[in-house]
Amino acid sequence: MPPPGQTQLPDWDGLKLRVRTLIASHRVMIFSKSYCPYCNKVKELFRSMRVEYYALELDVTADGPSIQQVLAELTNQRTVPNVFVNGTHIGGCDSTYQAYHDGVLQKLLGDSKDAEPYDYDLIIIGGGSGGLACSKEAAALGKKVMVLDYVVPTPLGTSWGLGGTCVNVGCIPKKLMHQAALLGQALQDSRKYGWQYEEQVKHNWEIMVEAIQNYIGSLNWGYRVSLREKSVTYLNSYGEFIEPHKIKATNRKGQVTYHTAETFVLATGERPRYPGIPGDKEYCITSDDLFSLPYCPGKTLVVGASYVALECAGFLAGLGLDVTVMVRSILLRGFDQEMAEKVGAHMETHGVKFIRKFVPVDQVEEGMPGRLKVTAKSTEGPEIFEGEYNTVLIAIGRDACTRNIGLETIGVKINEKNGKVPVNDEEQTNVPYVYAIGDILEGKLELTPVAIQAGRLLARRLYGGSSTKCDYINVPTTVFTPLEYGSCGFTEERAIEEYGKQNLEVYHSLFWPLEWTVPGRDNNTCYAKIICSKHDNNRVIGFHVLGPNAGEVTQGFAAAIKCGLTKELLDETIGIHPTCAEVFTTMDITKSSGQDISQRGC
Amino acid sequence: MAQRLALRQLLSLTPRTLPPQGPLAPHGRAFRTSAGCRSTFNVQDGNDFQDRVVNNPKPVVVDFHAQWCGPCKILGPRLEKMVAKQEGKVLMAKVDIDDHTDLAIEYEVSAVPTVLAMKNGDVVDKFVGIKDEDQLEAFLKKLIGA
Repeated sequence: MPPPGQTQLPDWDGLKLRVRTLIASHRVMIFSKSYCPYCNKVKELFRSMRVEYYALELDVTADGPSIQQVLAELTNQRTVPNVFVNGTHIGGCDSTYQAYHDGVLQKLLGDSKDAEPYDYDLIIIGGGSGGLACSKEAAALGKKVMVLDYVVPTPLGTSWGLGGTCVNVGCIPKKLMHQAALLGQALQDSRKYGWQYEEQVKHNWEIMVEAIQNYIGSLNWGYRVSLREKSVTYLNSYGEFIEPHKIKATNRKGQVTYHTAETFVLATGERPRYPGIPGDKEYCITSDDLFSLPYCPGKTLVVGASYVALECAGFLAGLGLDVTVMVRSILLRGFDQEMAEKVGAHMETHGVKFIRKFVPVDQVEEGMPGRLKVTAKSTEGPEIFEGEYNTVLIAIGRDACTRNIGLETIGVKINEKNGKVPVNDEEQTNVPYVYAIGDILEGKLELTPVAIQAGRLLARRLYGGSSTKCDYINVPTTVFTPLEYGSCGFTEERAIEEYGKQNLEVYHSLFWPLEWTVPGRDNNTCYAKIICSKHDNNRVIGFHVLGPNAGEVTQGFAAAIKCGLTKELLDETIGIHPTCAEVFTTMDITKSSGQDISQRGC
Repeated sequence: MAQRLALRQLLSLTPRTLPPQGPLAPHGRAFRTSAGCRSTFNVQDGNDFQDRVVNNPKPVVVDFHAQWCGPCKILGPRLEKMVAKQEGKVLMAKVDIDDHTDLAIEYEVSAVPTVLAMKNGDVVDKFVGIKDEDQLEAFLKKLIGA
């Protein structure tokens, strides 16, 4: 011991021995610092593999810095974490993860556990748009894949087949019913075009539902066949994690089987949220029930102002039903608000009643037979609203199905508030062998094509040697309300937030579809808007169109935006006449000029 | 397609339309003239298929169909009528592919309607899609005669 007051020189030989001993005597040795996030990541990896490690925190150990020096000499690595497995130096965080992905880590760990191979290369929980796309791609790349899909029946007992939300209770039936409503409008217009018929045209709900459900049934079967053709094992069972790499699958009859896999993908999607008021589950329906409702809904109250709410309210009104929409605050949250208000205004002009700033608080109870009584409270004052309806459709949002699938057991973190799963840009959760795609992702768009793309690219990265990641920028969408709204890129609000109002030029125009002139429909209602970034060559960063066939119009412009569309290119593009889309090739009036955009004539 | 559970339970009570075949059948071999009520039956499950189709000494045509399939609704009655005309020489089993998916998969059914001709447990002939009465008659005669 040196006399007090003198700094002790490091005992290099002693430290080297100590380091070597630590490396040799622990299966997994991590030289770490307690505040270091990369060290935490590495520890999490081993924890997720249920592998014990020994960590020496150099920031709180005597001789910490000296030990770090010794390690640098031993391994040429100055940083922490510095990881050794069974005596072999792996490296830092990145190297350890890479070794894990390559299987090198597992080999080094040399467990008897790992000697037993997994049942499958990949197990996907959820047979919807994302899950099916991922499974087929992985199988095509030669992997052994299993898909589990199970629909927990709604409170009213509704259930459906393989294919997920889009096919069964989402996009497909929605667009078909929207089309049914549009045909009703077309029938009205037809007389102006010279069609003459005596019959009063009525709509039969049951015929429409049967036809739509028959089509969906063929799609369910088609998916089963295609899974079989691609040699993907399909289980109609509820999957839950019970330990790392292992799930329990329970079918409708309660029979349980167990399956293991090297990699898992969560694609469980979402289900409609209930408001939690008395009577909501007993008396109200959601979109899950609407598309197969065996009887006509009649006078309907739609609670919510999401695109689901407005699309449903829209086609129900188009079929001739008495529809009211109860809105708590704004329409189409997350969408461009100027466009959202126009969508709502059009619906109102065409007979949909809106009750703004009310929420149902109480008794949805049976009034007279087949009628429901709703009591609602204003969000701004003491007013009470009471109404009677045949059907109450709840469309206030959707919750991710991540709560009861055992994620806690294996340590997958979810956002506790909404159940969504945070992932990195490779769709990987905090547990390295678990990925997630589709509607359950935190902060990503809830769209079928996005889930499909993410699923396919994920399979290619995992098994096809690809490094392409899913591009979530400039994804086009369309809301299929009676007046359709298509968009791609920034909303005006977000653009102003991101770029500043002075750096943007917004061009806009009203237009009158030629087909609407003869029947005298809605002049000066359809609207087109593009948002350009002034300092980037007037690049088009936001595209918005309100009008018929908005989806078809928007798709092409989305591709142009991906190619870097500018206002000049748009102006140089010659329009197709007579169409609605051509309005984008001749937009002169800017919002900033304040000029009038109402149309007169051709 | 969507189902409401209660409704499905009600509708799944499909009546057995045919008593067990065999030399000791109480009614003996009566030739029925009513449209195929004796020669056509709905398969109840895998075991039933084994008993009444695979192990049947008589040739059986198996009609794989689905509730959501339009052409099936045309072919079904037509086939039943032609089977009835064969006076008991051939039987017809109907299999709903949504109710009996395992069976449909086992016999590699992709599109519907798919009709298999089975003799002594082997598939000796098959067709997919609609056929007219003459074509069905020829199909059945071939099965019986072969």
